[in-house]
Amino acid sequence: MTIEASTPSGERMTLNMGPHHPATHGVLRIVVESDGEVVATCTPDHGYLHRSIEKIGECVEWPMFVPYTDRVDYVCAMNANLAYCIAAEKLLQSDPANTFVVPRRGECIRVLVAELNRISSHLVAVGAMAMDVGAYTPFLHGIAQREGVNDIFEKLCGQRLTYNYVTIGGVAYDLYDTAIDEIRRFLDQFEREMVRFNKLVTTNTIFRDRCASVATVSAAEAIAWGLVGPNLRGSGVDFDLRRDEPYGIYGELGVQVPVGQAFAGRKGSVGDAYDRYVVRLLEILESIRLCRAVLELLPPAAAKANDPIGGWQADVGKQVKRPPKGEVHVRTEAPRGEMGYFLVSDGTKALFRVRCRTGSFTAAGIFHHVMRGIFLADVVAVIGSFDIVVPEIDR
Amino acid sequence: MNGFGYAVDALAAWLAGGEPGWIALTIAVLAVWVVPILLLVFPIAALGQILERKIAAAIQRRVGPSSAGLDGPLRFGFRVLLFFLPRARQDRIFAAFCNLRPVRSLLLVSRRLGLGQFVADGIKMLGKEDIVPTGADGIVFRLAPYLALAGAFLPFCVVPFGQHLVMLETEVAALFAIAVSGIVVVALKMAGWGSGSKWSLLGGMRAVAQLVSYEVPIGLAVGGVVLWCGTMDLHAIVGQQYEPGVFSLLGWNVVQSPFLATLAAVFFIAGLAECQRSPFDMAEAESELVSGFNTEYSGLRWGLFAMAEYTEMLLIGALLATLFFGGYQSPIGEEWIVGLPVWLEVPIHGAILGVKVVTVFLVMMWIRWTLPRFRVDQVMRLSWLVLVPMCLVSMFGLAVTLLAAGGTHAGEAFGRVASRPRPDLHWLGHLAAWAVPVAIGACLVVMAKKKHGQVHPALQRLTGGRS
Amino acid sequence: MSAVANDAIATAVLAQFPAVQQKHADNGRAFLLVPKGDLVAVAHFLRTQKSLRFDALMDLTAYDLLKYPSTPPSDDIAVVYLLFSYQHRHKVTLKVLAPRAECEVATVSGEWPAALYFEREVFDLFGVRFPGHPSLRRIMTPDDWQGHPLRKDYLYPDSYHGVAHLRDGQHFEGSPPRGGDTP
Repeated sequence: MTIEASTPSGERMTLNMGPHHPATHGVLRIVVESDGEVVATCTPDHGYLHRSIEKIGECVEWPMFVPYTDRVDYVCAMNANLAYCIAAEKLLQSDPANTFVVPRRGECIRVLVAELNRISSHLVAVGAMAMDVGAYTPFLHGIAQREGVNDIFEKLCGQRLTYNYVTIGGVAYDLYDTAIDEIRRFLDQFEREMVRFNKLVTTNTIFRDRCASVATVSAAEAIAWGLVGPNLRGSGVDFDLRRDEPYGIYGELGVQVPVGQAFAGRKGSVGDAYDRYVVRLLEILESIRLCRAVLELLPPAAAKANDPIGGWQADVGKQVKRPPKGEVHVRTEAPRGEMGYFLVSDGTKALFRVRCRTGSFTAAGIFHHVMRGIFLADVVAVIGSFDIVVPEIDR
Repeated sequence: MNGFGYAVDALAAWLAGGEPGWIALTIAVLAVWVVPILLLVFPIAALGQILERKIAAAIQRRVGPSSAGLDGPLRFGFRVLLFFLPRARQDRIFAAFCNLRPVRSLLLVSRRLGLGQFVADGIKMLGKEDIVPTGADGIVFRLAPYLALAGAFLPFCVVPFGQHLVMLETEVAALFAIAVSGIVVVALKMAGWGSGSKWSLLGGMRAVAQLVSYEVPIGLAVGGVVLWCGTMDLHAIVGQQYEPGVFSLLGWNVVQSPFLATLAAVFFIAGLAECQRSPFDMAEAESELVSGFNTEYSGLRWGLFAMAEYTEMLLIGALLATLFFGGYQSPIGEEWIVGLPVWLEVPIHGAILGVKVVTVFLVMMWIRWTLPRFRVDQVMRLSWLVLVPMCLVSMFGLAVTLLAAGGTHAGEAFGRVASRPRPDLHWLGHLAAWAVPVAIGACLVVMAKKKHGQVHPALQRLTGGRS
Repeated sequence: MSAVANDAIATAVLAQFPAVQQKHADNGRAFLLVPKGDLVAVAHFLRTQKSLRFDALMDLTAYDLLKYPSTPPSDDIAVVYLLFSYQHRHKVTLKVLAPRAECEVATVSGEWPAALYFEREVFDLFGVRFPGHPSLRRIMTPDDWQGHPLRKDYLYPDSYHGVAHLRDGQHFEGSPPRGGDTP
């Protein structure tokens, strides 16, 4: 996007926030036209992190695209893996000849790692939001807890950020021996730690007043603008794909869905920045519960990887070499909301079209709508409250 | 006339060899006033920076600076001391010295505490390129940091560090301190405007708006103390807070009346805003304005701004201690110090004030690393709709208390003779002066909590309360 | 789950718009093929009709039919609209074929503002123009980028503003070097 050389026109001033501004979470650029401290218009400029992942998907074989899905959203790579793999499995299974099923243990492990990753992703979100509002400490406390998840994942698959763990047909490796104990121990201490975190920042009056009634999005607006996930629920829409279109074993877990209810009290309103923030925190609690529930359901490991109960990886090596023609659209609930894959296969080893619809993309789309007439200081709070992850926008 | 005055006159007379002219006086003032104060405050501010980093690390469960010890400075000292020896010899002696058991453990401790960090930081800062942006207004841009530093340092002239340690004794010391620290506003505005950057400009404008607004509550808080003590002379105000006996703490202004305690709180909060510390760091607002007014500064100039900020924190601490917490007086009886010879009295009083200042300093850091930042409108609202009314009510309350006391008693002032004795309240009167306003305040707080204090059940669940 | 079965949705639309066809993908996935001219009217109908109420645009994307093994072969660009109703919890897929020569589809951003961003992306990567879109600019690639990368006949540029995309002696597989700088 080209911006005309900024001339002092009237009372307005053009401010370039980003692409290397401390609060734009990566390489987002927002061109703010402000009247002093008050934002008049705001135009996001994307593409600094565009790596044409969808084009790459047309050039590599089906399983080889999984590592690229990590890069679509590296803050919650497990969920990004999962979304693609479920879509690919559904497309493969649309051919009646392909009769594989993902083993039960594999499904459980998928949900387990997805929920752990949701915790660590939401920790970054709420921590970064607190940092944008000026409290530096909660971010580091969040990151310290995220380390716990990363340590578990590192033992699980050797990676701390981009896991490439969920595969078409299951997961790449079984849980390691002490995994269950370690996850339980992590969840226990993490639950206590979240109470401290919330006492530190969530119920802080300054923080609450900063976020209350900022960038309020009504339920109808949220739906029309395509907001998804916690941003949608923050606006009071009771919808969660894990509960309403369950995939994997989510249907058995009875997911509880928190929605925004003007948590900030009399100064707040449903769908403001504080609601979105609190919904994320409540989702963290729910994820803790889900992780514990999955650990209860987890069947013992079998000797064979493709055992339908105790295995973790169905054998799909031949099927992905000769996939059926056709198309599929699958959406899953990633931490940043609906991650939808629209896949078109032409029957060859490489997909014909890979389309990845992410939550941050539409969240960025509503920026210029909500960021009018707010304070400059609120711009960063709004970016934080929508939990933008730039690679997800630019892909 | 105190020790400083004598020293200045003597030095000037010695320099001029007779009746001193203005050159000799200037040199004498520089030598006796300016250089010592710089030597005193600079290292404290630098150490403050380390302290801040360590405290931030502790709050954030990090380690903080943990490698830079005092080895380097020590080696440099050896080099200077043993300049007449060849370098290899110097190093051998240094190594032998460092191998001494206590030295070794001390150096280890210094490394773990990161005590040498400020030396390393300083060298790094001095070594950085001094960049003046193309669009900057050169003179204004270059001048701003020095003005900021001057504005932060100058008020120290009137702060009494001890019975004989006041640089400038004047009847209008409190007014002087407030007026002179106003230079900082100009400096920040110059930095913001002169940088030729919009972030800086916004930061500068925020700084001006905030500092000017918060000078009102600060002025009113000082006004309350002046009303109570009947003098603007800071040293006299310290003298007013003298209470004979072991419980000298009871003489401090902050325990004299709840209104003075309120004013102390207001002064502290407004002081936080005056030094641009979180939650009032609007002007620097890292996550919004990149770095605000000092976005374009680098190297030494940036360092001067940082120094000015720390100096101002010390200043707020010193003024708070002087006005409300008995200044340099000890809380456990004053007579035993006053009786000591001057060479003992001066450092002890200095240390007592230092402890008070550092306490305020630590509280400021604690707040900084705990609280989020206010928004522009909230900062203004806090000043004009909360702090200023609180000041006015407190001043009114003080006036009523003074009238109700109906008389004053001549307290045994020491040091500078108090120009006006403290109001004489019977112990019952003291009790009433505390009980009545505290009761009213508590009622107001309870009512406000009942009306607006309910927290959403979901938040109670998040904080571990009942769901 | 869904208040209206998929066929019922199709029937409702077909009754109103006879030019719309119900079709199935190669693996049997149903969609509605909407003629270009009817799109906005169909979209409005789907969004406002009480029994349908497609209040959300889940996704708007496209794919290039060139090189897709269909009979008869086509070189159109299929624009795909994935709609969802939060009220009734049902979905429908619309497809519009935009011929390569006159690659234009009317905007649906009047119905769902979410389309503002999706359409910018489709414009950027496929070169489909959306008349009526208030600010149809590129979104992923730079403003001065040449070509639309997700088209199947896209040729990779060797360099952009003098910065080479490949090391010396390399060239993109299956895609002859364009020879020259972009733009």
